[in-house]
Amino acid sequence: MRSLIAKYAGKMERDRSVVPGRAGIAAQDDVMLSEGAPDLSRLAADVLSHLSCLGVVAASPSLPFAEFLLRRANPDVKTIVPLDTETRTFLHDIPIVRREELAGNPARAIAALLSNRKGVIAEGVGIVASGPVTLEQAYINYSSVFHACYVKYLLEVLREGFLLPGEGEAFRAFRETFLRPLTAEGLSFRAGPLDDPGEVLSEIRAAGRYTVERGLVDSFFGNISYRVGGTIFISQTAASLDELAGCVDPVPTDNRSTTGITASSELLAHRRICEATGARAILHGHPKFAVAMSMLCDVKDCPVKDCWKDCTRVRMLGDTPVVAGEIGAGGLAVRVPPVIGGPGKAIVYGHGVFAIGRDGFGEAFRSMVDVENLCREEYFRRLDARGGHPSTSVSHIHSR
Amino acid sequence: MPEHMLVVDLSSGWMRREEIPPELLRAYLGGRGLGVRLLRERHTLSPFDPAMPVVFAVGPLCGTPAPTSARIEVVSRSPLTGTVYDCSAGGRFAWRLRAAGLLAILVEGNSPRPVVLAVTSAGEELLPAEELWTKGVGETVSALSGRGSVAAIGPAGENGVLFSSVMMGEGNAVGRGGLGAVLGRKNLKAVTVDGDRTVPVADRVRFDRARADVLRLFRASPVIFGELGISEYGTPALVDLMRQRRMAPTENFRRTVFHGSSCYSGPAIRAAYGAKKEGCFGCPIRCKKRASDGRSLPEYETVSHFGALNGISDLHAIVRSNDACNDLGMDTISAAATLSAWGEARGRFPSPEEIGPLLHDIAHRRGEGDLLAEGSRRVAEALGKPGLSMSVKSLELPAYDPRGAYGMALAYVTSNRGGCHLRAYPISHEILRKPVASDRFTFSGKARMIKIAEDTNAAVDSLVACKFAFFGASLEEYAELLAGATGEHHTPQSLKEIGERIWLTERFYNARNGFTRADDDLPARFFTEAGSSGEGIDIPPIDRARFGEELTKYYRIRGLRDDGSFPDDGFLGRQP
Repeated sequence: MRSLIAKYAGKMERDRSVVPGRAGIAAQDDVMLSEGAPDLSRLAADVLSHLSCLGVVAASPSLPFAEFLLRRANPDVKTIVPLDTETRTFLHDIPIVRREELAGNPARAIAALLSNRKGVIAEGVGIVASGPVTLEQAYINYSSVFHACYVKYLLEVLREGFLLPGEGEAFRAFRETFLRPLTAEGLSFRAGPLDDPGEVLSEIRAAGRYTVERGLVDSFFGNISYRVGGTIFISQTAASLDELAGCVDPVPTDNRSTTGITASSELLAHRRICEATGARAILHGHPKFAVAMSMLCDVKDCPVKDCWKDCTRVRMLGDTPVVAGEIGAGGLAVRVPPVIGGPGKAIVYGHGVFAIGRDGFGEAFRSMVDVENLCREEYFRRLDARGGHPSTSVSHIHSR
Repeated sequence: MPEHMLVVDLSSGWMRREEIPPELLRAYLGGRGLGVRLLRERHTLSPFDPAMPVVFAVGPLCGTPAPTSARIEVVSRSPLTGTVYDCSAGGRFAWRLRAAGLLAILVEGNSPRPVVLAVTSAGEELLPAEELWTKGVGETVSALSGRGSVAAIGPAGENGVLFSSVMMGEGNAVGRGGLGAVLGRKNLKAVTVDGDRTVPVADRVRFDRARADVLRLFRASPVIFGELGISEYGTPALVDLMRQRRMAPTENFRRTVFHGSSCYSGPAIRAAYGAKKEGCFGCPIRCKKRASDGRSLPEYETVSHFGALNGISDLHAIVRSNDACNDLGMDTISAAATLSAWGEARGRFPSPEEIGPLLHDIAHRRGEGDLLAEGSRRVAEALGKPGLSMSVKSLELPAYDPRGAYGMALAYVTSNRGGCHLRAYPISHEILRKPVASDRFTFSGKARMIKIAEDTNAAVDSLVACKFAFFGASLEEYAELLAGATGEHHTPQSLKEIGERIWLTERFYNARNGFTRADDDLPARFFTEAGSSGEGIDIPPIDRARFGEELTKYYRIRGLRDDGSFPDDGFLGRQP
């Protein structure tokens, strides 16, 4: 168990979701174990002692966005609702607990909220998340809350500007220091087409790892596939793209076997994209600026309310089409394949980016980088145009 | 709104509807929890004692549009295992029972002659059933078709087969532990329910939002709605996966790969029988599959045990075995596993041609069937080879070899009803990666995982919801559904605490009936013989020392002594 604690503490630092040295992780076996920053590991253990769960993560996020969201919310607001569809599907909402509510017994106050939700934003503390079944789940839920707050804060700033003391400075530091140039430079991809299954698996593992390392997806999300003849090699459901060894399913395209029941929930989308485009390589990530920008729409008085699943329009962000659609057995697998063939990339509303490579992952990876860079540039162009002040633009954010 | 149960004394014919104390429902929810609580005063009675009750109970979500929640729990003491026993089943019965204004039926006493208990919204009556006695389930259900939904026993239950089932008219089974035999001893051939009341929802907005969340998670789950998932292929979707993971029990668990398994995989069944989807009331998953001729098609456990476990790859023979068990009212897992143990003991597994007649002999206790009707443990002991019964607490193990999933190994022995995969269902995370994946070849952390899952599933069985729903959703959404349905506050944590109370109550009953740590053990084969390694996957024997260490951890997490016993005798007295 201690090795698992060390593993996830390391992952949180590597993916830059936590202030270095400011994470505490607790796990219970027949005894309680905790590691990390003394105050946070103690809090994690105290929270965990109130819950029927395996693990708890308590950490200070590397960006203050969650804290800002909490402080920007009206005092009577008890939860923050993620705007991106992926995390909202799994988190529903994120409870917030304010400093005064933590005054007595902070662990009990946080545990009361975690008894009903996967993650909590605690003012002055950070994000606290639980893992009911495994310790990895606590890490995933922390990561999900971090992702949801990141995207939501980008959109709030664009819509409302900075409202709190210090926000502007913190955001400038985020823009100038935290964000790094995003490129595919220095990465090595096989050219393809690939026919040898061993080579395919090796390339999938490498491309998945690159996607996480370059920040195009948080570790737990995303999926990846490569087609060889009548077989799609695809990452398994709930697989981390940076840990794909043994987590890729070979799925026959004629469905003569159901071994792929553990394949990614986006198997159908990958299959349809293969069929529609002939592409061999497909990469799906959740780059945050692309997720955020996909939710900005210029249509006023639109009758569609649940844009994320019901919008039938194909919008464009630069040369990249944006479509709506539910994940899994929803509409994404219907709406992405018709639009992705030409540009080689597509954004799913509030969800993430699909990118294809005709023969190899290099093309797909570079496309995803391009989409995210375009969205990042466009985001800051719009923000600069408003001088960081509340928006008066016709663009609005569909928040349902 | 007050909830009621019908109490029926078959000995006297006395029946009365009683209000269920609200504090019991707050503490035990319904379903399994309520049934277990209602056994409190009589849990040490023999399963066949006339005073031993059989409880049919639904949960607080039944009758609402909560997905997968129209399920019935049947609770009593098992004649096969001697443990407290419950089993849930889908179909239409639960919904019609709730619509008759009842949350539960408690049946006690023995009727002097065969009867059918017929329940409607207007009242209940006992009908003579001499003409139905000896009839198969199909004929019985047809004869009662005008009376709503039917739960019936077949000849196996009448003749005291220790793994006889209570069959729902829609083809679902209350299987495994032999509760059909308990009803048979009571001379209760069937129960029919035909209500017409609606169930109110306290907070419709909250309920609908939670329901939408559940359905979205179902759609996001490849196991549920994926193109290779159980909605498409039913549970036989697992056949190929278990083969690939090298943990398909074969020839009485001597091996873990059966090369003929593709003959009865999900796609093979669909191709051979034109399998169509069918669902329990209000269930969007519709995992049950029916042939184009209307026959109920077998589940994963059934095809695997009548297949690999007996070395048979003939799909049509397997489907015939399933048909026979359903009509005779017999559990397919225990029937197939008992035949397999008997086959190994005599040096030859039964052929496809032999199995049909043997199943009828078991149900009617004819010839060798009389011994086989006692289940694999008693068969193996009678033949002087007790080690050949692949069971825990006399309940035959299902089709997940414990050498291929160590959480499953632990959960088999900690299960309060014997060797069952559904109490903790670690296959969900060890194999199906839901809600997240865990390392199937380690015991590390498994004691805590199993404990939490047992508590969770005890709550799920008391709601009563289908375990398959939790391949996508979680208690988070079901607590919201419950809060919306009842207007009362519930959280996943509070539900798990209820589940823990139910689980410990069951364990306490079992302890009072003589069960100890010695009963929490796997057959020796799993510690001494390897499975079928290959294709880069090693299936070694389970490390007994490490297994024992994790079991001790499990007891400590449960608040038990290291020998698995309770620290004091006062547990029940502290429970509501």
